[in-house]
Amino acid sequence: MKTFEQKWTAWVDGELTGKELAEFEAALPDKAAAEAEKRDAQKLGALLKQELGADVLSNEEFFSHQLRERIARESAAPERPVGRSTWWTVRRLAWSGAVSLAIFVVSTLFVLRENNPGEQSQYLTQILNARVDPAVSPNATISIFDSKDDRVTVLWVEGLQSLPADYAAK
Amino acid sequence: MHKQRLIFTIVFALVMSATVSLPAAQTVWSGLVIAENVPQPAPMPPELTSIGQTLKELFGYNQFDVIGQSTKTLRTGQEDWLASSKYFGLHVDARGETPVGYLVDLKLYKEKDLLLETETKLSKRSPLVIKGPLVGSGQLLLVLMVQ
Repeated sequence: MKTFEQKWTAWVDGELTGKELAEFEAALPDKAAAEAEKRDAQKLGALLKQELGADVLSNEEFFSHQLRERIARESAAPERPVGRSTWWTVRRLAWSGAVSLAIFVVSTLFVLRENNPGEQSQYLTQILNARVDPAVSPNATISIFDSKDDRVTVLWVEGLQSLPADYAAK
Repeated sequence: MHKQRLIFTIVFALVMSATVSLPAAQTVWSGLVIAENVPQPAPMPPELTSIGQTLKELFGYNQFDVIGQSTKTLRTGQEDWLASSKYFGLHVDARGETPVGYLVDLKLYKEKDLLLETETKLSKRSPLVIKGPLVGSGQLLLVLMVQ
């Protein structure tokens, strides 16, 4: 059973037909005034459509639209951490790990290069110069060599004056 | 902000690695050694154990006796010291650090006579052995090593 307001809305929208239309119009107290009001309402509707350019939504469409908007808002909202935020995000941790690994690799290569047997000569003791007093040992000769086994550098001096066994005293 | 922290992390790591590689105080052992051949050789002195076999092969003696020695801990690399026996004196004058050890001047004295002098870059990994004069039936050796 439709109320008067429902029938009025349907009449204004031109949705009443047949017997229902006749009964409603017969029930109107002032049909001329009602017709004028209907025309005004239709003009207003046309004006609103023209000016706002928006489609009039039905109730189902309106709720569906609201629901879609809410879902979109919730989906688009950034996920905030529940606890206190920290600088060490997963990405930064990965970067820091990569940088640390790179430093470790470079340091390791440096140490390995330092220990490379092919370059050990610079780590042997070097004799820059050696001198024997010619007045004391005029026939002395000097030679230098390395023992590769345990990296001993030898300054070999020949021709020094021999000394008696007493000089071996502690 | 992100870049600043990244740079700080890298600099911190580099400083730490540099700190780890800083040279610590080193101990230098210097000794006067008489090498000779005897029927019953005494055991190799503990200071020479690491190079004992090389000494035997190089000089052909079976006994090595330390007649004078000195152990010096170098903190500045500018120290000097004397290892002496009754008649010999080995003056060691460290004149600074090098990337691999120390720059040292050595002077061997027989009483007051200077027999030999040398300027050496002593490496921490490489002992120095100097063949000195013949003494009796043996040989005087000078040994310098960073322990």
